[in-house]
Amino acid sequence: MNLFNRYLVDFAYFLKTSVSYQRKRRFFYNILENDDYRYKKYFDIFMIILIFSSVSILIYEVKRDVHDYLNMFNGYVISFIFFVEYILRLWVSSSVSKVIIHQDEYADLLGREFSLWFVVKKVVSDKLEYILSVKAIIDLLAIMPFFHELRLLRIFILFRVFKIFRYAKSFQTFASVLTSKKFEFFTLAMFASIVIFVSSVLIYVMEANNPDSPIDTLYEAFYWSIVTISTVGYGDVVAVSYEGRFVAMVVILSGIAVMAFTTSLFVSAFTEKLEEIKENKTILDVSKTKNICIICGYENIAKEVAKKLIHSKFDVLVLDDDKQRVFNAKKDGLTVLDYNPGTIESYKKLNIDLSTKVKAILCLREDDVENVYTALTVRSINKDVYMMSLLINQTNRNKLLSSGVNEILYDKEFIGLIVKEYIGQPVAFEAIHELRSEDSNIKIKEIALTERIVSNITFVKNLENLNFRVLLLGIYKKSSKRFFFNPLKDTLLESGDVILVMGNYIFIKEFEKNLSHK
Amino acid sequence: MKSVSALIFGFNEYGLEIARNVQYKYENIAMFNLEKSEFMSIKDVDYTLRLFDLSDDWDDIEDEFDMEKSIIFCAIRDEAKNIFLTISLRSYFKDATIISLANNQEDTNKLKMAGASKVIPIVETTADIITDMLKKPIATEILHNILYEDSALKIAQVKVKNLEYFEDRFPADINWSEKFGVLVLSIVHENMSREFIYSSKSKHTLLKDGDMLIVVGYDTDLKEFEKKIGG
Repeated sequence: MNLFNRYLVDFAYFLKTSVSYQRKRRFFYNILENDDYRYKKYFDIFMIILIFSSVSILIYEVKRDVHDYLNMFNGYVISFIFFVEYILRLWVSSSVSKVIIHQDEYADLLGREFSLWFVVKKVVSDKLEYILSVKAIIDLLAIMPFFHELRLLRIFILFRVFKIFRYAKSFQTFASVLTSKKFEFFTLAMFASIVIFVSSVLIYVMEANNPDSPIDTLYEAFYWSIVTISTVGYGDVVAVSYEGRFVAMVVILSGIAVMAFTTSLFVSAFTEKLEEIKENKTILDVSKTKNICIICGYENIAKEVAKKLIHSKFDVLVLDDDKQRVFNAKKDGLTVLDYNPGTIESYKKLNIDLSTKVKAILCLREDDVENVYTALTVRSINKDVYMMSLLINQTNRNKLLSSGVNEILYDKEFIGLIVKEYIGQPVAFEAIHELRSEDSNIKIKEIALTERIVSNITFVKNLENLNFRVLLLGIYKKSSKRFFFNPLKDTLLESGDVILVMGNYIFIKEFEKNLSHK
Repeated sequence: MKSVSALIFGFNEYGLEIARNVQYKYENIAMFNLEKSEFMSIKDVDYTLRLFDLSDDWDDIEDEFDMEKSIIFCAIRDEAKNIFLTISLRSYFKDATIISLANNQEDTNKLKMAGASKVIPIVETTADIITDMLKKPIATEILHNILYEDSALKIAQVKVKNLEYFEDRFPADINWSEKFGVLVLSIVHENMSREFIYSSKSKHTLLKDGDMLIVVGYDTDLKEFEKKIGG
C-alpha cells in the first residue's frame, strides 16, 4: 500500500474510533434525519419559519420596496443557513470512512491491493445518489437565490416552499399514499395527455382559419383543451365551428371521465392506506412517549385497568390481535395496535426500547396460556422490563413465574384477603378504603427526596409535616431498600429516599412546595 | 345448638379462597352449590358441602345456623343467579351480614339494591390494585402488608374509653407517634361518620367516649395503646 493510501486508511480508522467525531456526526444525523430525536422538531420548526419568512419577503417586494437588511437576510443569511444544512445532509447521507475501511478489510481478506479507485467510485456514487434525489435537488435550488444579483435566480426562492415537504411529515405521508397508485396515475396521465394532444391538434385544424374563432395558435388550442378537459371551462376561448363544438363535446365527456377516475384514485389510495397511516402514526406517537404502559389483551380487567391508568395520566398502548377486542378498545378511545402481543415481530414493529420507554407490560388476557406465551416473548427480547400478569388458575402460578413475570395478580387471592380484613376489622377496613378511594380528598403520596431537598432538610424533624397537617407514614430508604414506619425525629434523610405521606391533597401540595423551596 | 358459621354460596375458586381466609374466625364453614357435579371434582376439603336451589326455602339453614352471628357470602359466578340469591337471602334473613361478589359496576349496584351488606366488585378491585401498584408501588406494598399480610405492622380499630389521656386536647393536636408510638389515621364517630385525623373537623372536635380510632403501628405498641385508651 502506498503512503497516501496508508494515511487515508489510518485517517478513516481514526474517524471511526474518534468519540467526539462520531458524537458530532450522530448529533447532526439525528437533528436532520431522525424523526424520533426529541430536538428534531425544534429544528424543523425553525426551518419552516425561515422558509415562510423568505417567501413573505418575496411577496412583499413585488409591489413595495424592501429594506436592504431584509434583502440581505433573505439573500445571504437564509441562503447560507440552507447551504450549511445542504452540506451537513450531504455529509451524513453516507460515510466515507466506512467505505475506506470496508475496502481495506476487503482487500486484506482477499490479499489484494487497496483500490483507491474503488473507494472514489463508491463515494462519488453514494454522494451522487443523494445529490440527485428529489429532496436534495429542491434543497440545492433553494440555495440559488444566494446569487440574487442574477434576477432570474430570485424566483428560486419559491423552491424553498418545496423544502417544507422535508419538515412536514403529513406531506410525506400524502406523497407515499399517492405513490402506492403510481401505475394507475400514470395510465390516467397517458390517457389525459393523448386526449389533450389529439383535441388540441383537431381544434387547431378546425378553428385556426376561422376568422370568428378566438383560437389562432396551437398554444391557444392547447390552453383551450386543458381548460375544457379539467371541466373548469373559463369561457374565454371557445370553439365556434360545428366541427370544433363536436370536438369540445368529446373533450368534455373525456374530462368528466378523467375527473371521476382521478377522484376515485385519490379516495381508494387513501382508503387502502388509511389503516397503515394510522398504525404508523400510532407507532410514531408511542416512540415519543416515556413510561408507557403496554396492555396485552383487552378484556374486562384490561378495560378497567386502562380506564384507571388513563385517569391517572399514564400513556397506555393496547396490543391485541382479536378484531372484536381491538374494536372495543378503539371504541373506548384507547391507542391500539392490531398486533399479536405474543410475537417478537410486534415489538420489533413498535421499535421502542422496552427497558427505558416502557413503565410496565401488563399481560391481562383472562387466559393463563396466552399470558405465559406473551410473558415469554417479552422476556426473550428484554430482560429488564417490568411485567405484571393476571393469573386465572392457581395451578399455573409457577409457569407464569418461570416465564419471567415480576408480579402475579391472582384476583381470587385479592378477594380472599379483602374478605379476611373485612370480617376482622370492618370499621378500619371501610375507613382505609374510603381514604384510598379516588373520590376522597385525602391522598397517600410518595415523595422522592432529591439532592436539592436533602441539602436543606437533613433529618425527619426538619420536614415539619405536622405544620401542613400531613401525616408522615414512613420512609423508604433507598440504601437499605427497607421501609421505616413512623421514623424517629433524628432519622437522616438521603437523596433517593421516598417519604410516604397522607393528608388532604391541597396540604400535601403545599408541603411538597415547601420541601422544594426551603 | 346453632353454630356460628360462614355460609359460602358458590363452590368455585372464589368461594374456596374466601373459605380459606375466613376459617380463622368461624368454627364451621358451609359451602353451598347449585350443581352436584362440581363437588365431585374437589377432594380433601374440610368444609361442609351442600346443595341448594333458588327456591325461598331457607328453614333448614335457619334451624342449623345462628344467623345473627354467622356471615353469608354470595359468590355464584352466574351474575343473575347471584343477585337472585342475595335478594332471596335478604328477604328471609333481615339482619344477616351478606357479602356478595360482583363482576362489574352494574352488578355492584344491583347487588346493593338486592340488599347485600357489602359488595366486592372483582374486576374493579383487581384493576385498582394493578393501577395502584404502578402509580404508588411503595405505598401500595406497605398498605397491602398492613392490611392483608402477616407483617409486624398492623392496622387496628380502637374504641376510646379513657378520655383523661387526652387532657381535653383536640385529636389533631396530640402527637400520637411520640406519645404512643402509633399513627392515628382517622376517627370514626359513633354515628359511623369518619374524619381524617388532620381534617378541619378533627382540629375542632374533642374525642368522645365510644369514638373509634383507626390506628397503624407495631403489634406491641398497638396492644399498649389499646390498653391505655381503649376498651
